[in-house]
Amino acid sequence: MQTTLAALAVVAVGYILAYLLFDRLRARYGYVGGAEYVLIGCILGPRVTGLLGAGQVQDLTPIVSLALGWLGMELGTYFRIPTLALLPPVHLQIAFAEAVSTFGVAFGAMLAIFHFLAGHPWPDAAAQAVTLAAVATLCSPAAVDAFVDRAKTRDRILPVLRLTARIDALVAVIAFGLVLAVYHQGEVAPEVRPPTATEWAVINVAVGVASGILFHLFLGPVSHLDEVEGNSRLFVALAGAIVVASGASYYLNLSPIYTNLVLGFILANSGAAHRDVTRMLHATERPVYLALLLFAGAAWSPGTAELLFVAPAFVLVRLAARWVGGRVAGEYVAPPALRTGGFARGLLSQGGLAVAIALNYSQVRPDLNPRLILTATLLSVLLFEMVANGEAAAFLAMLSGKTDRPTGELESPEPAS
Amino acid sequence: MIRRVVVLALLVGGALLLEPLRAPTEGVIAPRSLFLFGILLLTADTFGAVAHDLRLPRLLGYLVAGLALGPSLSRIVPAGVLEDLSMMKRLAVGLIGLLAGAELRLADLKARHRTILYILLLQGSAVLLSLWGFTLLSRQWMPFLGGLSAGPLVFVALLFAATLTVNSPMVTLALLTETKARGPLAKTTLGVVLVADVAVILLFTAAFSLAQASLGGATAGAGVILWRLLREVLGSILAGALVGGVLSLYLRFVKRELVVFAVVVVFATAAAAQALGFELLLSLLVAGFLVENVAPVRAEPLVETLHQTAVPVFVIFFAMAGAELHVQEFAAVWPLVLAVALVRIAAIFFGARAGARLGGAEPAVARDAWMGLVSQAGVALGLATIVADRLPVVGLAMQTLTVGVIAFNESVGSILFRRGLDRAGEIVVR
Repeated sequence: MQTTLAALAVVAVGYILAYLLFDRLRARYGYVGGAEYVLIGCILGPRVTGLLGAGQVQDLTPIVSLALGWLGMELGTYFRIPTLALLPPVHLQIAFAEAVSTFGVAFGAMLAIFHFLAGHPWPDAAAQAVTLAAVATLCSPAAVDAFVDRAKTRDRILPVLRLTARIDALVAVIAFGLVLAVYHQGEVAPEVRPPTATEWAVINVAVGVASGILFHLFLGPVSHLDEVEGNSRLFVALAGAIVVASGASYYLNLSPIYTNLVLGFILANSGAAHRDVTRMLHATERPVYLALLLFAGAAWSPGTAELLFVAPAFVLVRLAARWVGGRVAGEYVAPPALRTGGFARGLLSQGGLAVAIALNYSQVRPDLNPRLILTATLLSVLLFEMVANGEAAAFLAMLSGKTDRPTGELESPEPAS
Repeated sequence: MIRRVVVLALLVGGALLLEPLRAPTEGVIAPRSLFLFGILLLTADTFGAVAHDLRLPRLLGYLVAGLALGPSLSRIVPAGVLEDLSMMKRLAVGLIGLLAGAELRLADLKARHRTILYILLLQGSAVLLSLWGFTLLSRQWMPFLGGLSAGPLVFVALLFAATLTVNSPMVTLALLTETKARGPLAKTTLGVVLVADVAVILLFTAAFSLAQASLGGATAGAGVILWRLLREVLGSILAGALVGGVLSLYLRFVKRELVVFAVVVVFATAAAAQALGFELLLSLLVAGFLVENVAPVRAEPLVETLHQTAVPVFVIFFAMAGAELHVQEFAAVWPLVLAVALVRIAAIFFGARAGARLGGAEPAVARDAWMGLVSQAGVALGLATIVADRLPVVGLAMQTLTVGVIAFNESVGSILFRRGLDRAGEIVVR
């Protein structure tokens, strides 16, 4: 009894000390990450104190799948068609150019590493390379919003940066969703013909669309309840919707993030409840992210080779891919009025979606290097969180220092609701 | 509402369509559990709204939804799924315990300690004695007393009565959260129910040990019984004090991401409770109480956070509790269920009224306090399961009847308590 209680106490005190340490980092370097949550997850998990055994970590799957879906749905709500229609086309060109080139570079590099260096066959190498390329492409829209909101300058590139973060996340989630559908794992019932890769991809979208339509009908008109009560009810309905959509994807070995992206997109573009839904999802993003970090910490069991070689290699690949993506978008695709060097410096933060993708991969492909993917992702997320804020601040300072650039009111509305 | 029901039907239809797309696989969490959990949540929310429209407690809707989808009726959510999701229920119990403890203010307890103690003593004794007497008098109809000699008969009947003496902190708290009632009746009921939770565990443990000894099971001396009893209660209090200390440190030095931290604390405590055999609800109740009343920190942020999570937590808890009710088992003994439940309600009525009068309670409390004490839920079900597991000779038959009475009290009790709060004019949110 004393041992377990002592372990509990050690965990708690250790966590609080870790928090205070990271709080210093936060105050000094603007660090916004959640390494302390990975740490406490690790301490609680089967590898350290064992307070949460392997079975109990598995028991948390409903919460994890809810969190994965939650982040996917939140991303979907960013894409409201009436708002997107008001954007200048050039903004979309820049954003897509940055996302596609970042993804392309990361995918190429990771494919080469997995196929030529690690010797995986093409399909396995492609599945892992797409997953890590998606993680590399991701940029946290919430983090970008936060630093753009704090910016003292009103440079015209800032709304493009916001949009780019969203398109990065969109490209990453779609690519990851498609790879799980195309290289689908799991057997179907004996009386059913196994669907082809294309059919799985269609099923994946169909589950999202059907969920979106059904929950649009389920949520119905805006509630007449008071704010707190209405929020609680909406939370339950949303949680139920996300768990159902995530559960369907999890059942089919597909990506709940992708399914809920479609669900969120439909809810954001239909019905009167879209504002409440979006507000609720944004308000709860941070706890969901931290819960994912905790779970990732508990489920994390890095091997030496991954820590020494693959994870640092992935960090370098991401850095290079971001740099190339930033150059392509900011210096070649952007028109002269928006041309910006160092565009990638504002897009370094990765956020919860990256952890979500890695965890989702571990659930769906436990046979194909899940530890490696999780280790590379967690290290990358934690490292980039450490430098992202400083780099973003330097980027803003650079923008403020420019005199030959037209500034003023933002030309386009934010793509968020 | 019809729209919502149609959507739920379509979701269940969709589930059937998707079923052949995956061959059944073994796993710690079966993949379809998650999907069915979502359907359970949405159905519970919908039924809760229907209950609210009918001016009934929402939790009744959650229970009915669980019952309708659970293994007893439609079997859409099978027993295996509920097992897969037991961690969610433990989380719900833990968060409710924490909230309940934090809701128990020392100042309120001090101000109403006489009323609380008198009600607790008189209604507790009335229920225990009347049920004990009733059980002995009607022993030829009691399935679990058949063939017992005089000694075991007396003690097994006492154990049955002790199990049904328990109230429900869950139902009380769920209704107070739903109605936002904060008046004298709400405070008195909460005080009685939470203090009774500790007292009844002592009573139950004593009765259990006596029954076990009389049946010739693992007999234990008085010292061993007392030690076991003290270990469970003191262990829970000790663990609660430790968790309370951790929460206080967190509130003092960090005070951020309280939802995440509360969930982690509950999971860690649940794991420790399972490993060490102490009671999760009691330990977190103590922790919440200490943070609110003893620790030199402001507990409001934690209480506020727990309130924000309360509705989803109650939906999960009561929907799963409803799904776990096996109605067909007690359908055969319903006359007995009804008789026992009515005896219990009568005893609570007289005991609580007498206690409130002797304790100098306000007229509304003296009139309606009994209405808040009828409910039973998770704690009583837990005790019934302990009896069934450890005394299978009489326990399984006793469980059928006990669960029937609990199901009755859980539904009727919540309606009565809401009516009582309404009559006392304490309901803020209708």
